[in-house]
Amino acid sequence: MLEMHGITKRFDAVVALNNASFEVAPGEIRALLGSNGSGKSTLVKVLSGLVNPNAGEIKIDGKSVQIGNAQESRRLGIAVAYQDLSLIQSMSVMDNLVLGLEPKGPLGIVDRKQVEARAREVLGRLKIDCRPEDLVRSLPPSVQSMLEVAKAISLKPRLLLLDEVTASLHHNEVDILFDTLRELKEEGMAIVIVTHRMEEIYKLCDGCTILKSGETVARGKMSEMDLNEIVYHMTGKRPDAAAQGVCQLANIEKEEQVLEVRNLVLLPKVKDISLNAFRGEIIGIGGLEGQGQSEFIRALLGVHKPSSGEIYYNGINARFKSPAQAVKKEIGFVSGDRNKEAVFPIRSVAENLYAGKTTKGNIFGYLGPKQINSFAGRAVEEFNIKAGSLKHPANSLSGGNQQKLVVGRWIALAPKLLLLDDPTKGVDINSRREIHKILKKCTEDGMTVIISSSDNAELLEISDRIYIFYEGKVSAMLAEENRTEEKLVAAMMGLISCDTGGELDG
Amino acid sequence: MDRPDLKMINRFESFRRSPAFTGFVLFSLVLILNIALQGPDRFFTASNFGLLLEKNTPLILVTMAQAMLMLLGMIDISIGVQLSLVNVIAIMLPQELGVPWPVAWLAGVLAVMTISAVNGFFVAYMRIPSLLSSFAMIYIVKGINVIIMSKPQGTVPEIVWRTYASEIGGVIPVTFVIITVLFLLWIYLKKTTYIKHVYAVGGNERNAYASGINPARVKMKAFLIAGFITGIAGLCLTAMSGAGNPLMGEAYGLKSIAACILGGIALSGGWGTMSCALFGSGFLVMIQSSVYYLFKHLYVWIPGFQVTTYWQNLVSDGIILLGLVATIFTAQTQRAAFKTGLKKQLKGGERLGE
Repeated sequence: MLEMHGITKRFDAVVALNNASFEVAPGEIRALLGSNGSGKSTLVKVLSGLVNPNAGEIKIDGKSVQIGNAQESRRLGIAVAYQDLSLIQSMSVMDNLVLGLEPKGPLGIVDRKQVEARAREVLGRLKIDCRPEDLVRSLPPSVQSMLEVAKAISLKPRLLLLDEVTASLHHNEVDILFDTLRELKEEGMAIVIVTHRMEEIYKLCDGCTILKSGETVARGKMSEMDLNEIVYHMTGKRPDAAAQGVCQLANIEKEEQVLEVRNLVLLPKVKDISLNAFRGEIIGIGGLEGQGQSEFIRALLGVHKPSSGEIYYNGINARFKSPAQAVKKEIGFVSGDRNKEAVFPIRSVAENLYAGKTTKGNIFGYLGPKQINSFAGRAVEEFNIKAGSLKHPANSLSGGNQQKLVVGRWIALAPKLLLLDDPTKGVDINSRREIHKILKKCTEDGMTVIISSSDNAELLEISDRIYIFYEGKVSAMLAEENRTEEKLVAAMMGLISCDTGGELDG
Repeated sequence: MDRPDLKMINRFESFRRSPAFTGFVLFSLVLILNIALQGPDRFFTASNFGLLLEKNTPLILVTMAQAMLMLLGMIDISIGVQLSLVNVIAIMLPQELGVPWPVAWLAGVLAVMTISAVNGFFVAYMRIPSLLSSFAMIYIVKGINVIIMSKPQGTVPEIVWRTYASEIGGVIPVTFVIITVLFLLWIYLKKTTYIKHVYAVGGNERNAYASGINPARVKMKAFLIAGFITGIAGLCLTAMSGAGNPLMGEAYGLKSIAACILGGIALSGGWGTMSCALFGSGFLVMIQSSVYYLFKHLYVWIPGFQVTTYWQNLVSDGIILLGLVATIFTAQTQRAAFKTGLKKQLKGGERLGE
């Protein structure tokens, strides 16, 4: 019923979708799969009208259609349950369920009785435990996720898109959801689900389409594809199904340990993370996007408050209340989200480099331009930052050089522990190499680095040990000869986990 | 579950969680204070009610207009000078051009709706923060006011201000009828899909868009409704003062915003009702009246106590500030909403659908 051909979408220089194609038939449940940054979310947004593609054709029932905005998408019979929810928190459950399609009586008055009846019907169908008049913000996350699905289903669409909705659901809720989806499939609805849980796909789906770097690389029936093949298409590597990740370190030398995290919990994303880092080590954190990596790093830094678990930094229990406290204790943080969390775009290169240093010393202390410029001059040379002049604004630099600017800012503070959250996202290959070189050199001087990355090759290249996160837990810790891409991929897809496969060995 | 006491508790619980609760508490407190200071025998008279409403109907209506916008997370600080615009047009058209006064009054309302529409266009379609857009509008409208009427002058036909200040059957003030009619308009709106969309856009614009709502159109309509109510408020102000003054309405702009927040409407939008506007403006009215009576008592109790009326304003404004702090920091939802609200005012709407 739906066909998409040659869909291309560029965000500035980044190509999210490159000539992608997709199709789904009525009465079919199709999985849309892909690794990090493969463009599956963008594809969903194209269909829902939130993103307009640069090129490509969308056909419904063989007729070419344009989806310019969310209203048109709905009119074509497409309903979407979003990963980050589209519910209005300050409104009641029933108002949310009928939002945009309220049943109207005379004079445009909403028929409350019908709204409530409709809400009760769909709540009953999905066995959601809440009252129609409850405010959405008073409900727990898993119920909100179910409501998001309920909202999409209550539109009675011809095509239902579910974007990672099972991530925050409990097991019994997933079962209820799947039963309902099977019923809807019998009724002839076309259903597309995006998920990273492989076992769910085999339980539910008829076929799958796999995206890689914005291109459609494979499609087929689930009965004809085995797990190895799917993972191969997603990542370019065959998973080592027999991989046995090591989950804990046996011989821990207390003196050298910089950071020890025990059973850290920060719901909803981080469920149980334990991790050790020693002096002079580069620790990689890998996994699919949104498995709790960035929340974990920010919890260490004191941005989020973990609900339980212990963090020992240099042997002392350290739960920082704010990043400022963490920085005082010689922790540095480089964010991958340059524009939001790192660069001051319209301030000069020199000021950007010096920004970290200003946290030290007197708040009203005199800060001469000479001091800043000589410091920045040295840093620019040392980190090989390509800037027109120290006075140019930071946003005149390329993305890679901006990122070097941020890394340089923190290295200049000589922190004992440097946290990096996907620092090389959207950074060109040369700058990436130079950042790696800088990091390696620093660890020789005794700095400890924890780096999260969505790029497997990067992790394998620079880290001494790699922790792989899956659904908020460590699914494997790879060290030394275990550091192979096949094992990494297997852990990343949740094919192995510390709960079952991971044995304790030295 | 059919026990009547449980039902009462449930009903009270749902009222306690409703947006109007904090406004209701604040209003009740000052109402009791006012009755105590004025003396119940003098407070509960038809003429007292009539006078209170007559003096404060413009404020109450303007607050309702402001509330309409604030539900969407927008504010219009030019609403005060818009009142003056109605006043100026209603007075000067008959005086200078000999237009019959009903036509002139209608023209005044239409003029304000036009100003609101322009404001709405800039906010909804050009995505300029409503704070900035309406700030610029203050100077434009003020300029127009002074061009039309350079100094206070003119009169209103006697029948108009007599009717405005009268009571129907000697009991129900005309102003009460005006407020009731507009409140009924809200009750009608509240049952329509439109107001659901207002709450949705105010609550989360992106999600409302994803649900197939056109946020720009919802905002535009809100500005038109607010413009209409502001127009009526301007007419009430004209009838109350009985004369023309190009600078008369200015103070109402910021007062109406304070009243909305006092009533419990979230600055970030998506939370509040028209009852909030009534309680909030009622609080402002009652506090001023209470402080007036308090000073009257002080003159009697303390011999030789003699201060200017500016002291009364200082005391009442101080209490209003405390009230604002109380509304924002007692309710946790309000606290969060206030923060995001400030951010929204400064940054403007996000760009959707690209």
